[in-house]
Amino acid sequence: MKSVAFYGKGGIGKSTLASNIAAALGADGLKILLVGCDPKADSTINLLGRRPPQLLELMKQEKRPDPSKFIEEGFAGVACVEIGGPEPGVGCAGRGLIVGIRYLTEVFDIRRFDLVIFDVPADIVCGGLAVVMKEGYSESALIVTSDEFMSLYAANNLCRGFRSLGARVGGVLYNRSTTGGRRYVGRFSSRVGVPILGDVPLSEELIRADRARKTIIESSPASNLSGIISSVAKSVYLNSFSCVPNWIQIEELEEMCAGDS
Amino acid sequence: MSVIIHPRPSPVAAAMYTLRDLDADTIVLHGPSGCCFRPARLLERDGVRVVTSALLEDDLVFGSEGKLSKVLKRVDEMFSPRLIGLVGSCASMIIGEDLKKAARDAGLLNKTICCNVHGGSGDNTVGAIAVLREAREMGLISDEEFNRQRFMLERATRLERERGTARSEYIENWPGDRPKEIAKKLIETFASGGEVAFVLNAKKETSFLYADLALALASARRRFGGSLRVLANLDPKVGLPRVRSYSVKILEEFEAEGVVVDSITGGIDEYPISGERAKELLVRDPPDLAVISGIPHAVAVEGVMKTVAVSVGSRAVSNLKSLGYDYVVAERDAHQVSLGEKKQIRRSILGQALREEAAH
Ligand SMILES: Nc1ncnc2c1ncn2[C@@H]1O[C@H](COP(=O)(O)OP(=O)(O)OP(=O)(O)O)[C@@H](O)[C@H]1O
Ligand SMILES: [Mg+2]
Repeated sequence: MKSVAFYGKGGIGKSTLASNIAAALGADGLKILLVGCDPKADSTINLLGRRPPQLLELMKQEKRPDPSKFIEEGFAGVACVEIGGPEPGVGCAGRGLIVGIRYLTEVFDIRRFDLVIFDVPADIVCGGLAVVMKEGYSESALIVTSDEFMSLYAANNLCRGFRSLGARVGGVLYNRSTTGGRRYVGRFSSRVGVPILGDVPLSEELIRADRARKTIIESSPASNLSGIISSVAKSVYLNSFSCVPNWIQIEELEEMCAGDS
Repeated sequence: MSVIIHPRPSPVAAAMYTLRDLDADTIVLHGPSGCCFRPARLLERDGVRVVTSALLEDDLVFGSEGKLSKVLKRVDEMFSPRLIGLVGSCASMIIGEDLKKAARDAGLLNKTICCNVHGGSGDNTVGAIAVLREAREMGLISDEEFNRQRFMLERATRLERERGTARSEYIENWPGDRPKEIAKKLIETFASGGEVAFVLNAKKETSFLYADLALALASARRRFGGSLRVLANLDPKVGLPRVRSYSVKILEEFEAEGVVVDSITGGIDEYPISGERAKELLVRDPPDLAVISGIPHAVAVEGVMKTVAVSVGSRAVSNLKSLGYDYVVAERDAHQVSLGEKKQIRRSILGQALREEAAH
């Protein structure tokens, strides 16, 4: 079994890439588990066509729900789980993730999959959201970023967090890629010592597929973009590199991005 | 700054005691059912009902203001309290629960004192001050009373850091000197015509335990001669009504037992200040032996005269010995003994040792 966790700035495309990569690998015949770790439970919608029951909600009702109740099969046989969590503004999502992941891995053998993908909410804002890496549920993290400054800023912060946790990062996924922006992500990747595993261009098609609550792999399998995502998915699956990343001082990051504007 | 690693009193417990002093008849602790279990049980003996919102993992993950609101309503139906105290816990405060919102949703905000403290809020006095501040906002106590109490609590905190069990990183437990030996010393002092000064410098209800020494000393003096001077922080005109009534009650018992108080050093909730007054009086005219009970480290006369310090807790006792008090006696758990609806002077270990020794 291989496992990766998607981290990156809010709204950068973690869930989109996670579900599309899962779909592409599933379509290739691999056994994939996608674990949505966000309380808003939106990681697997595009594979299932709807929101599945959430693990924490079930645990609240019946303490120890059977895995059959919260693991559903989506497009291309991808197994889907949403941990779920509190309503916005109350409770503790981080604690929820700790409790949910521990239970999931206790009652369900995730090692039976070829690849387990954890889709983690935004930055590691608290200890709970780091649990996936801290307690070793995922072997390595993938950092999703665009070439925008704030996205690289968040990516750098994540590297800093991973460094202090001693957690490993397998690569950078460059999303919403543009011809002019690649050099910024390239510089960032070489400075933190983590390779770019692939890039997915900014695309109207993705947004349309999203509206139809489908992955692009399902809605237009023959499209150019589907091909791009499939090859990114393969790099993710075949990647064997990982390291504890470096991070950059903010001044250097600013200079790096301001360089030739 | 070094970290103090031995167990310390909790701000949540201090908040609950202060709510009791304000005559809250029901306290709701918004936390897991085992939080502050022991203080909660002790307060129940004092006639205060203590309940918890019994938080579980789910409540922490999903938030539990709704559950709290229901608990508050239920408590109101079951006990019809006049005044409710609502305190936080580590768990509920860290996830950002809004106590006031829950009380408002339950329609009980106007009779609920909400106190946002948890175990990590700092010194235990932080909890007491938070309750008093809320009580002032609600018009239950005056600005003057709030300021007076806050001043006292801040002095108490400073005293703990400078001379109490918060003064070093770790204090070993120690059972204290043998009460029988101290009783002998006291009788010898009386029998040789010497003077014993007894200082009561206790905190609130614990005075009902320490005051027993005055009774035992007075009767030993009658039997063996010598003289006895009594200094006590029993000013019946200072503090909240409940606390004043303690002073009145103890003074009545003193009178009935023929104990004469030579100096009133302050109110029963003023031990940091009354301790200083007691010190002045003792230093001006040192006795042959000074017996200082309650919070002895507030009466810094060690090294200046022969002293017997009487306090509770093997760690506090150990601290007093290392400060330099000549003899130190560990009393019965003062809270445990003196909480209870019927307040009266309770028999103390040293008082009993003295009575037994005198009977020989
Ligand atoms: N390459 C892309 N081109 C165009 N739109 C994209 C691309 N990738 C993602 N999006 C769109 O961006 C939006 C946010 O994406 P997504 O929900 O996947 O982000 P996220 O990182 O998971 O966000 P969150 O931090 O809230 O979980 C979605 O509407 C998605 O369709
Ligand atoms: Mg997402």
